[in-house]
Amino acid sequence: MRYSTGTAIAAFVLAAAFPAAASAEWTKTWVVEWNEPAMYYGAKSGVIDPGTDCPKGTNPDIDWVQIMVNAGYTREEATWLRNPANPTRSPVHGQNQMAFRGKDRANVYINPTSTPDPGLTPVSGTTGEGVDLDGNTKNGFTGLGGEKGIDNNFYRTLGCWKTYRGPQRLSSGALQFNDAMRNGSWTTVIVATGKGADPMNDKDVKVGFYMSADKIVKDGNGGVALDYTFRIKPDAKYEALYTARTQNGVIASTAPSDVMLRDPSYSQDLDLLRARISLKMKPDGSLQGYVGGYRAWAPVYKGWVDARGPVIEALTWVQLPGVYYALQRNADFSPTGPAGEKTHISYAMRVDALPAFVMTPDGGKQVTEIASYKASAPPPSKPSATTFTVIDGLVPDRNAKVQAGPTAIILPPTVAPTSAGQ
Amino acid sequence: MSLRFNRRSLMRGLLGGAGVCVGLPALDTFLNGNGTAYAEGAKLPTRFGTYFWGLGLTDTPTGGTRWVPKTTGAGYEITPELASLKSVKDKVSVFSGFRVIGDGRPNLVHWSGHASILTGIAPAGSTKFDGPTFDTKIADAIGGGTRFKVLDVDASVSRKPVSYSTRTGNSFATSETTPLALYERIFGEGFQDPNSDNWKPDPSIMLRQSVLSAITEQRQSLMANVGKADQVKLDQYFTSLREMENQLAIGLQKPEKCEACVVPPPPKEPHRSASVDVVNANTKAMAKMLAMAMACNQTKVFNFVHTAGSSETYIAGDSKIYHQITHDEPTDAKLGYQPMTSKIAGMVMQAFGDFLVEMDAIKEGDGTLLDHSLIMGFSDTGYAKIHAIENIPMFLAGGANGKHKAGQHIAAKGESVTRISLTAQQLVGAPVGEFGAGGMKTSRPITEVMA
Repeated sequence: MRYSTGTAIAAFVLAAAFPAAASAEWTKTWVVEWNEPAMYYGAKSGVIDPGTDCPKGTNPDIDWVQIMVNAGYTREEATWLRNPANPTRSPVHGQNQMAFRGKDRANVYINPTSTPDPGLTPVSGTTGEGVDLDGNTKNGFTGLGGEKGIDNNFYRTLGCWKTYRGPQRLSSGALQFNDAMRNGSWTTVIVATGKGADPMNDKDVKVGFYMSADKIVKDGNGGVALDYTFRIKPDAKYEALYTARTQNGVIASTAPSDVMLRDPSYSQDLDLLRARISLKMKPDGSLQGYVGGYRAWAPVYKGWVDARGPVIEALTWVQLPGVYYALQRNADFSPTGPAGEKTHISYAMRVDALPAFVMTPDGGKQVTEIASYKASAPPPSKPSATTFTVIDGLVPDRNAKVQAGPTAIILPPTVAPTSAGQ
Repeated sequence: MSLRFNRRSLMRGLLGGAGVCVGLPALDTFLNGNGTAYAEGAKLPTRFGTYFWGLGLTDTPTGGTRWVPKTTGAGYEITPELASLKSVKDKVSVFSGFRVIGDGRPNLVHWSGHASILTGIAPAGSTKFDGPTFDTKIADAIGGGTRFKVLDVDASVSRKPVSYSTRTGNSFATSETTPLALYERIFGEGFQDPNSDNWKPDPSIMLRQSVLSAITEQRQSLMANVGKADQVKLDQYFTSLREMENQLAIGLQKPEKCEACVVPPPPKEPHRSASVDVVNANTKAMAKMLAMAMACNQTKVFNFVHTAGSSETYIAGDSKIYHQITHDEPTDAKLGYQPMTSKIAGMVMQAFGDFLVEMDAIKEGDGTLLDHSLIMGFSDTGYAKIHAIENIPMFLAGGANGKHKAGQHIAAKGESVTRISLTAQQLVGAPVGEFGAGGMKTSRPITEVMA
């Protein structure tokens, strides 16, 4: 419901900010061919090596047997739970009993504070990517070009986590979600218009990020094909409009916007407050840069839990409660003002886009102005159905004789001597 | 002296009022002098099989690979993960760079890849396919005249039996999941040793056939007394009865002698575990039986699953399964690939190599069983770490009775996997001109490997 209210307000604000305008002097259009959290990789090689960002390298693999022992399981039970031959350990959905390691064997995925903060080593480097969201050049990271005040506490918090860490386009999370996008899961197009004579230096620029139902097309080499045509698909949820200017080919916001983008993540929603862009139009026609803003951190955590807690923990070398505590600790923005609860964290997404033709929703003409299409969008559709149901971070095996839970008997009778049922 | 009977001649008679047909007594002259065909000119049968394993082979995000040969065409080099194919390399074609074209349908992990290869359609959901798998068309085309139109085998020791063969898309074939079960299916009840001098028709089959025939004889009077809808139902019913009768009739024919057919002893049941050593041992044992089933002319078509798309296999003693390792193991900066993933991929491929060697060990006519077969090996994914459906490893093994110009590496740049599926169908003589739908629809087989 929050989205419907927010959408209505946003539509009103945008209508004021983006009145039906006369056609611009120039229009440039692109299709996003890659987008990923802007996580600067400070090592010279590899994907987990020590670097200036994370001097000890990517946060290491976890001894899950020890974690379970620390949570009160016997070593025999913990070893049993980690054995692939254990019939309660699903190769697809993990070991559900891993959830029950909080106080009184509470489910730590939905109740992360039921276990002490296990810690999550943050980025300790000073170089970061993104945009200056608060106008304060004395805080934040130093950008790749030496610019000060880059706000990206999301990176500071999670940048040493294996799923996010790696050179550009090589972190495992970015690879996974961009591969899905490039195979047709979703398409985002970008339109920029200006009223000046020189697109590279124009004080009156507007930029729109829209969804398209037309799928990304790959060329013979498997890359995203240039100059394909995409129709805007009005979307009640995903749309982002910015007022900006260009200077030496860099499109930069002149005012913050509240936007919603399709996120390359399990949670899918990138709801950014005070969003800003910094996008460079390159000589080859491509576009590269950042979309920054403050995103709510709780949905980020929930997204990982809903992606099946035990699977994510095992595959990405993280204790999810540690992610919860770390996001909470490093959140740096409150929508209600400086004194309010910090529910949001500064964030930046790195965007690469290629030249494309972007058409109006009916396909009748090329887009030449930035406007909101939300009013003509159908209601947001439900997320596409998955083949399994996640409940509290777990996929229950309905056919299993033994279900995971706080009172589960861990060892089978033939293995358990007297300690079963602890 | 010319023979009054040929190998197709039947002796006809009556049993309990129903007609039965019995094959000819044993004849010694089966093959021509060259061993390439039956004496009267019929070719040795072409067999077809699919061989599936889960989790692909090892690529790297920067374009490296542990399996794709650098050279194309004939004489490709053996790469680390193809080491197990070394001894049969000249009988195996390698296909790289082929992909699933989903036309906007999502990549359903560990499902879209093989569903597309087998049906030609990117599936909409991950519990069913959107069409029949092409092995069923091949079975219809070449699988007749044997006890089993197709045999489905699952060596994976998964929690649930695995099969990817379907005629409807909704329900999948029932696989034999242990070597002993496969043995009993092939050589147990109903098996007639084609080389036995004591062959006689199985009376239980004769009895069953006479019962079915009696039912069939009442068909006309029954059909005349029911409405149209029921007539349709009865017609479907009688059609299926006739198919069953035909199948039973094979048990009444004296089978051809098969020089390569040697009934193996029953296997022992292995330890039930999905560890890769057990799965590979299963594969080898089941390959022997499957090979003998084809040599004994019990079937001409099979589907073999080594491991499921979401493979459950692991190295015994490790706490991580192979599936998890493909995802969580980082690429080694110095090596340029995931070392443990590649190691296990090599172990998984060892089973495929062993499988082909078993087929090649059966001498048949002028060559081997493998020479008279075509086996399509394939997986569900390319770079498993990200569930890529590009560069899915695919192989065509065997000579297909001289139709397959094997021993080549065909490198494509993003072409549809269905081209290989179509090629396989045409190589074994299925009457198929095109295959697939949408972006994967193709009428272009890979002619480079077709003789």
